[in-house]
Amino acid sequence: MYPMFNPNQIALTPFLFFTGKGGVGKTSTACATAVFLADQGKKVLLVSTDPASNLQDVLDVELSNEPVAIPSVSNLFACNIDPEASARRYREQVVGLYRGKLPDAVLATMEEQLSGACTVEIAAFDEFSHLLSDEDVLNQYDHVLFDTAPTGHTLRLLQLPTAWTGFLEESTHGASCLGPLSGLGEKKELYAKAVESLSNIEKTTLILVSRPDVSSLVEANRASSELKDIGIQNQILIINGLLQTHRPEDGVSTAFYNRQRLALKETPDALKQVVTFSLPYVAYSLTGVDNLRHLFGSYTITVFEDDNLNAEPIQLPGLNKVIDDFSSKNIRVIFTMGKGGVGKTSIASAIAVGLSEKGHRVHLTTTDPAAHIAYTFEGSVLRDNLTISSIDPEIEVEKYKQEVLSTAGEGLDEEGLAYLKEDLESPCTEEIALFRAFAEVVDKSENEIVVIDTAPTGHTLLLLDSTEAYHKEMSRSTGDVPESVKKLLPRLQNPEETGVVIVTLAEATPVLEASRLQEDLKRAQIDPKWWVINQSLYATDTTDPILKGRAVSEKRWIKVVNEELAPQCAVIPWLHEEKIGYNKLKEFIL
Amino acid sequence: MKKVEIFDPAMCCSTGVCGPGVDPELTRVASAVYSLEQKKFDITRYNLANDPGAFVENEVVNQVLLEKGPDALPLILVNNEVVKVGAYPTNEELAEWLDVKAAELQEKPRVRVSLKLDK
Repeated sequence: MYPMFNPNQIALTPFLFFTGKGGVGKTSTACATAVFLADQGKKVLLVSTDPASNLQDVLDVELSNEPVAIPSVSNLFACNIDPEASARRYREQVVGLYRGKLPDAVLATMEEQLSGACTVEIAAFDEFSHLLSDEDVLNQYDHVLFDTAPTGHTLRLLQLPTAWTGFLEESTHGASCLGPLSGLGEKKELYAKAVESLSNIEKTTLILVSRPDVSSLVEANRASSELKDIGIQNQILIINGLLQTHRPEDGVSTAFYNRQRLALKETPDALKQVVTFSLPYVAYSLTGVDNLRHLFGSYTITVFEDDNLNAEPIQLPGLNKVIDDFSSKNIRVIFTMGKGGVGKTSIASAIAVGLSEKGHRVHLTTTDPAAHIAYTFEGSVLRDNLTISSIDPEIEVEKYKQEVLSTAGEGLDEEGLAYLKEDLESPCTEEIALFRAFAEVVDKSENEIVVIDTAPTGHTLLLLDSTEAYHKEMSRSTGDVPESVKKLLPRLQNPEETGVVIVTLAEATPVLEASRLQEDLKRAQIDPKWWVINQSLYATDTTDPILKGRAVSEKRWIKVVNEELAPQCAVIPWLHEEKIGYNKLKEFIL
Repeated sequence: MKKVEIFDPAMCCSTGVCGPGVDPELTRVASAVYSLEQKKFDITRYNLANDPGAFVENEVVNQVLLEKGPDALPLILVNNEVVKVGAYPTNEELAEWLDVKAAELQEKPRVRVSLKLDK
């Protein structure tokens, strides 16, 4: 139905960006493309800009922010731009100069300020723009492939050049939030070059990656139009994981196949304009260089270990046990967390529906900029005790600006107001505004249970990191700190009040990803209560050879989650249809 | 003319809008300083987060920091002598040091332009 993707079929620009909702296979597609090009003798650099990258899992090599040669593939180099690490390096660079010259306590206050969310963002963008505007990079490599972060983050990262270029031009006094970056003049040129490269069709191709399912196509469409708006015109679409055939006598196989075809029929019109390719659904996992090479060879099956499927079956409870547990323990704040695309929104919605069915007052909200909740409840009539909201970054920023201008702006003259407005234009305003909105929603849990479907991992981590940074800062600020903000972190850390559910798929990358997320949460003294393995083919009885191949590989990961990672683990079988609307969501918990 | 120097604690930005709540004191100081700068008064702010060198080079400041630690910030110097420790100057204090009327610190820009022309 769509031509099979092969890098030789597209006009290859020096920069290739892979984007799409988390979990659609950006990393594996980018890696397979990089390996393919390197095998043809091209010199290739593969870059990950995801704060929670899995590039090293796929390539099976330890990566840093400096390009390293991949031993098993000649001509291939890879690096991982970890914004947290860049910020750390930057911090040491600044603070290190003054060690011994200023008292340690004074240095500590500097370090703390330089640990803020905006320093991380700036550091990441800085690295990113170096690659985009450095002539040496282009002289050294034929192609630079970016395995970008989940969409929300990607959009912000890619939108930054334009935002910042405007910001730099308008900045009339003081360094404001760009303070940590000294020498603005030289940066300005660098950023301008980065913007130019991004919107130059000779230089940059945007490769949208989507699964053949409705929500990831909607997301791809959103990303496509948003990026087109900021000047990235050169786009192609890859439908990844398309099942080629099916077994009519196998219910799961048929439903799987039909659901994909149906979703594709509903591709948004704007997205249909984009040149589209497909990649097959494969029985093997796309990790390791050999398997990556198989992908463009259209191999769908490699070794199939049937025996493992039926030996020592794993029995796990369903989502209803999770809901029973939260209901009986009277948990007030529930988060579903995990990488984008694992079904956090559906699980959060189902938990909210389940708790409201049990008679609790429930509020469901999302901090995901992509706001899938409206879609999940499309056309439903809700019960009285269930309310729904979403946190829209743009609206929150506007609200925050108004609030600041009306309180702190009082008594200021025109110049003073202009100054204040200037600082409110800084990128970290968004972080703060979102954070405060988040705190306000959690504050509601005094009267009702709050279920929050958090944004993709990278974003979530930044949010939680902000939580702590702001808490430290508050002890010093004399400003008016909302009560809800003060109470937030202690509440998140209280196991009697808060329940964190980690949602994952039974695949290598999502499981590794989720275990890193769990580590990060633990560092902030938040202990997840449940893991939910979503969309499990192992939990179905399919006989389709490709799907069964996947079920076999799932088993290993279910075991890892159940035995090594999760305090309590539930599993949800792959379902015949997407659960949209209240009554359908109820089926999750039966 | 007297020289006023304000040594700020480490801050993300000098108006304080990057904190969890805005400190009106910080925005007042930011706009008063801005207004004085526009009038060509010798007033300078140093933020520890992006200008730590100033805190090392100025021996008076360095000495105070060694003795009292970061709580001594903000630290205010007039002609290189400490006049205030751990708090920002009021508009009245600024006016006194620089010999202007406190009300002038809140005047609109166009008033300043006409004042300049009168000179």
